[in-house]
Amino acid sequence: MLSTIHILNYLLPIFYLVTFYVYYFDFTHDKSSFHNAKRIFLFVTLFVHLSYLLIRTAEFNHPPITNKFEIFTVLAFTIAFSYFLLELLTDVRGTGLFVIFFSLIFQIISSLFIQDLLEVKEVLRNRMLGLHVVSALLGYSGFTIAAVYGVLFMLLYKDIKLSKYGLIFKRLPSLETLEKLNFYSMIIGFILLTFAMIVGFVWLPSAFPNFSYLDPKLIFTSIVWIVFGIGILLKLIANWYGKKVIIFSLVGFVFAMISVVIQNIFAKTFHSFY
Amino acid sequence: MELIGISINHKTAPVHLREELHLTKEEMIDLAAHLKKDLLSEGIVLSTCNRTEIFGLTQNKQLNHSQIIQSLIDLKKSNEITEDHFYKFFSCNAVKHLFNVAAGIDSLILGDSQILGQVKEAFQLSEDVRFSGAIMRRISEYAIHVGKRAISETSIGVGAVTVSYAAVQVIEKIFAGLNKKSALIIGAGETAELAAIHLKDKGIGKISITNRSFDRGKILAEKINGYMLNWDNFKNELHNFDIIISATSSPELIIYYDEIKKVMKKRKGSPLFIMDIAVPRDIDPKVKKLDNVFHNDIDSLKVIVNENLKKRENEIPVVKKIIQEELVNFFSWYNTLEVVPTIKTVREFFEMIGNDELVKIKNKIHKDDYPKIEQMTKRLIGRILHNPTINLRKLAESGRTKSEAIEYSEILKELFNLTKNSNNGKDTN
Repeated sequence: MLSTIHILNYLLPIFYLVTFYVYYFDFTHDKSSFHNAKRIFLFVTLFVHLSYLLIRTAEFNHPPITNKFEIFTVLAFTIAFSYFLLELLTDVRGTGLFVIFFSLIFQIISSLFIQDLLEVKEVLRNRMLGLHVVSALLGYSGFTIAAVYGVLFMLLYKDIKLSKYGLIFKRLPSLETLEKLNFYSMIIGFILLTFAMIVGFVWLPSAFPNFSYLDPKLIFTSIVWIVFGIGILLKLIANWYGKKVIIFSLVGFVFAMISVVIQNIFAKTFHSFY
Repeated sequence: MELIGISINHKTAPVHLREELHLTKEEMIDLAAHLKKDLLSEGIVLSTCNRTEIFGLTQNKQLNHSQIIQSLIDLKKSNEITEDHFYKFFSCNAVKHLFNVAAGIDSLILGDSQILGQVKEAFQLSEDVRFSGAIMRRISEYAIHVGKRAISETSIGVGAVTVSYAAVQVIEKIFAGLNKKSALIIGAGETAELAAIHLKDKGIGKISITNRSFDRGKILAEKINGYMLNWDNFKNELHNFDIIISATSSPELIIYYDEIKKVMKKRKGSPLFIMDIAVPRDIDPKVKKLDNVFHNDIDSLKVIVNENLKKRENEIPVVKKIIQEELVNFFSWYNTLEVVPTIKTVREFFEMIGNDELVKIKNKIHKDDYPKIEQMTKRLIGRILHNPTINLRKLAESGRTKSEAIEYSEILKELFNLTKNSNNGKDTN
């Protein structure tokens, strides 16, 4: 079983690299033979990745969320999986390259540094923690995808404004579509992060005697949640369009990334498991 | 009988002369009837806004292009047009030109997709008035096949090559679906009409026209099932439109920066596409500084048009290769037409010899043996003629020109003394 885990761990970056290349080739070539087939590459990669996560969970008797590098592989999976669902639902196929890039990076880092962890704290085997972390990761995946669509929107917006009709203009879907994808990703991310926060608020105080509402991770996450919440409300209520809402998602994403890095490196609280 | 063709098009004559020779459907029918009566055994007449062409098979070898050209000029009673305004084709070149036309590489707009439909219609009309025969029918099949191959196997028809269509491409990069969008066309000239038609084809939700001359605007509005907006108050309605296309001949600006700024306030920042195709411009180009205002003029859209034209030009060699392939296929068939009568004559000659010999021996053998000898004679003739027949057909098919096929036929006729001047296949022995 362990050897299977090790083999899959080394194979996964290759799978993501091939999928990334297929999406890249399709994006850069006019009449690509991969236009329909690329989805199959992504599906196979996701299937292998899910198998890896399940085997790992069974073998080590805990969900793969007990250290940064386990979190990275789950994040790689959730980002690619969220994109896969989005592609299936919207049939917008020209943007996978930019999203899968993130999965590829996270998976490479994870595969390089991940270790076999048989001994972990008991709290890390708790199902509520699994629910809390996985939903938070899915939420952040949503924000990542929203940010990708946000950046693509800005690039296309700029190109059209400047009457530049290059590759970006030719291959990307319309501004309206990118804006919608950005907004849907924001909403999905927001809902999942809200769920993660509710689980956290309910379960964390009972699981950790030193629980504090002033915990930095909690405060930063709440700020990220508020930024995205305001962006969504402005779109829904004030009918804001385009750049203004996109900026909220980009600021929210950058803030989320900075806060994650700062908390994981510097802050040592009850909320730091690894 | 010879393939012949004439063509007046954008390469041979200016637009006013081409217009003079443009034929209505009724005129095409009349001309076809006239040509069939005196000049061509079969043929087609093609007439579009950019070209008028006639192709067919001559009734006699003395016929030249001048008579066909004169028929056309006489029908339209044109004084200015001379023979010099026409291309003239014979045989292979006539078919090749027709294939070029069907593939869109001879069009004013390179890769024009409409021409194939017009070629189809011309062949259909020829069929309807019984001007078409076996050969023109076969040319029609090959021409349409060439046109379809050019579209499906190359990029000759890909990308916008007119400013109006390029604008529609940009619009499609801004809005996800046009069925819920509304457009305003300012002006009712040819360019405005073209833009309106493109938008209509793309399924725009609502289209309105405004024009200084109400009547002219109304004609366009009716033509495209659009709404008419009064010129005096159209500016008060600007915020209701997602797309504004302006193509008037006004010497001054019609819409100013501040007006669009107010419009964007009313639209709460919702995107607005502005296309100014007018020269001089109708809309203040400074509006492009406003957020979510996408302003394009002729120069900016020409970038797309020129790029696409260049791409289409790169596809010409591929299209020409297709045309060459189909020309070979067509002439493989066409050249065999000359050998078919020869094959028939040779076969008849051999059967006649066989019958003569059978008559000679009929009374010399037992009556029960006669059917067997008759069968054997037929088999013998069949076997003797099998290889020459197949090879002659192959030689004709592989020959590059009809004259080669004729040459083979003549040799065969000579060998068996089957030439018309001889005794019509009579055995000279």
